[in-house]
Amino acid sequence: MTFEMPNILPAVPEIFVFSMACVILIVDLFLSERRRIVSYLLAQATLIGAAILTFKLMVSEPVFTFSNMFVADRLADVLKLAIYAVTASVFVYSRDYLRTRGMYRGEYFVLGLFGVVGMMIIVSAGHFLTLYLGLELLALSLYAMVAFQRDSSQATEAAMKYFVLGAMASGMLLYGMSILYGVTGNLEIAAVRRALAGMDADNVMLIFGLVFVIVGIAFKLGAVPFHMWVPDVYHGAPTSVTLYIGTAPKLAAFALVIRLLIGGLENLAASWQDILVILAVLSMGVGNVIAIAQDNIKRMLAYSSISHMGFFLLGILSATPNGYSSAMFYVLIYAVMSLGSFGMIILLSRSGFEAERLEDFKGLNQRSPWYALLMLILMFSMAGVPPTVGFYAKLLVIQAVIGVGMVPLAIVAVLFAVIGAYYYLRIIKLMYFDEAEDKTPIVAGGDVRLLMGVNVMLLLAIMPWIGVIIDLCSQAIKQLS
Amino acid sequence: MEFKQFIFYFFSAVLVFAAAMVITIRNPVKAALFLVLAFFSAAGLWILLQAEFLAIILVLVYVGAVMVLFLFVVMMLDINLVRLREGFGEYLPIGGLVAVLLVIEMAIILSSGQFGLENMPEPPAYTADYSNTRELGRLLYTFYVYPFEIAAIILLVAIVAAITLTMRRRKDTKYQDPNKQIRVDRKDRVRMVKMRSEKKV
Amino acid sequence: MIPLEHYLILGAVLFSLSVVGIFLNRKNLVILLMAIELMLLAVNMNFVAFSHYLGDAAGQVFVFFILTVAAAEAAIGLAILVVVFRNRRSINVEDLDTLKG
Repeated sequence: MTFEMPNILPAVPEIFVFSMACVILIVDLFLSERRRIVSYLLAQATLIGAAILTFKLMVSEPVFTFSNMFVADRLADVLKLAIYAVTASVFVYSRDYLRTRGMYRGEYFVLGLFGVVGMMIIVSAGHFLTLYLGLELLALSLYAMVAFQRDSSQATEAAMKYFVLGAMASGMLLYGMSILYGVTGNLEIAAVRRALAGMDADNVMLIFGLVFVIVGIAFKLGAVPFHMWVPDVYHGAPTSVTLYIGTAPKLAAFALVIRLLIGGLENLAASWQDILVILAVLSMGVGNVIAIAQDNIKRMLAYSSISHMGFFLLGILSATPNGYSSAMFYVLIYAVMSLGSFGMIILLSRSGFEAERLEDFKGLNQRSPWYALLMLILMFSMAGVPPTVGFYAKLLVIQAVIGVGMVPLAIVAVLFAVIGAYYYLRIIKLMYFDEAEDKTPIVAGGDVRLLMGVNVMLLLAIMPWIGVIIDLCSQAIKQLS
Repeated sequence: MEFKQFIFYFFSAVLVFAAAMVITIRNPVKAALFLVLAFFSAAGLWILLQAEFLAIILVLVYVGAVMVLFLFVVMMLDINLVRLREGFGEYLPIGGLVAVLLVIEMAIILSSGQFGLENMPEPPAYTADYSNTRELGRLLYTFYVYPFEIAAIILLVAIVAAITLTMRRRKDTKYQDPNKQIRVDRKDRVRMVKMRSEKKV
Repeated sequence: MIPLEHYLILGAVLFSLSVVGIFLNRKNLVILLMAIELMLLAVNMNFVAFSHYLGDAAGQVFVFFILTVAAAEAAIGLAILVVVFRNRRSINVEDLDTLKG
């Protein structure tokens, strides 16, 4: 084996984001609390710069570098751009929240950017090792961010739970990878795929390894029965961190599933399909039913995220390119919806008050018809009510499932979607038909108001271009095989 | 029994015993010491597998740094050991049963023959001039340079996170600023006051 | 000659012990963190054994990285533990019960 100097050009966005994170880390040291905005602006500039670099370096054919450990393809480019956009919005929403709670420290942005690097690494991983390292980089940044409010007993408890279960999930994933390595003799995803092509798919060792890999992935996704951490972490973490965890990492989790299950283990599809059916049905069921019983909106959205992961798995388990691209569409739309919903909680919160109980949304229409309308659109989209894009996302994954002849599964999915609509509609009822208890006016910065409007209106305004996005998703998926 | 086999079974037995003690013992200091024993035995087994570099790293980094960190934290925190001892062994029987069942199930699958000596015989031992360290180093700095850089980032994140979470400036602690100490000037410290001498009453 | 299976079963024993340790430990967070270290040791044992029997050094390089990450993970885990302890004066797993619903 001769070694050639790797081409580092495709990895320039990663290098840029990491270098800038280091710069912010140092610059922030010399800033007083009043001038902390410099760190914030630098973080935003980093994301914009990374977007420009990714856009410039966009490739039409997949490029492999660093001995095939790094892949630059359409899928990676699309997901990276989405990650930058979502993270930039997260930073915009969180700034005021952090400032009023004494958490306005540069480390929030630095750790956030390190998390972005982790996600980028997962998204363009071509090797089990890079996948694992990217996952850990993201996870370690997230653990620290959850515990960021270190004098809060809730936040630290959430961090501890997240840490223990997250570390266990990594252990499971690694155990599965070690078995797959033993059977195939390879760690590079493309090579594993080639090795599996010449093997019996019913090989008991392969399935043994696969089960551990799927358990690890299900933990990271938060799919039932490996969802225990999701409600606690969403609830306990500061809302600005919940916002971060609930959005961009979902895109990275999608990439993890695509790279591992589809890029590497597609030949075992017959085996993982059955496991994913169970995970999807349980997630949709448990997520939607338990969400009804919640009176804390962050917890409710956590269970809602579990059920959304169930729907997303529907697209994957159909094991067709069409299904994968519908899952990708679903996860992109989910990131936007989740961004808006948690952004709304932040918007309604103010110093010393967290708008995280359902009652806090009572009579929102009287306090501000505009925000009530935005929340209405968000909830409709989450529930999958027709004029919103959330409906299309659900429709596409269910179509994908019907396309492979799993009609009972599709019926179950529709049923759970209807049950799920109940708790979203309950919020709308609270906003429009109940008396407001708290009449304090809602104050927010101009940037937050503007972004919130754009964020939510995107869910409606995107409809004419929906075909373009679906095309983009299917192109990205097509490059995989 | 061959000597290598004896070594294998001896170290494995110690390793399993130590691991079982780690999760059942109540005193965290003792648990940490048993974990050290487990790492030592594992290192012995790795030498048997001709992974000398990793075996040494396991002892140096794990026992030398990570376990010391564990012990340091355990001793720094003022843990109420009496409460931790309450309800000892409550879950032990069921836990033991689950562990045994798990092991039996996994063992049945793992010994399906695919990894037996017929399918995967032990490779011949390396010659004396083979250096495991050099081989790993060669790979690490060439083919694995990308993960190597990522590992560096992960360590940086760990530093940043650990400091952000635990460093606190107490208001009542007094710090010395050497810069200020050196630049001290007489006129900053001593003030000459002119006073009229007091008269005798 | 020691068959590869024996190393794998040893890994499985360690792995099971650590899983049981994580789920049954209701008292002590430090021991929970140690069980996680054990789990990674089990995985490492598998990788090293496979690497030897396959005659492929890639498995050993993987272990090298797992060790690095595990060290970073231990540092963050202990940092969170210290923060939890400062807030509650306890590292009892049963005391982590404020988040429910």
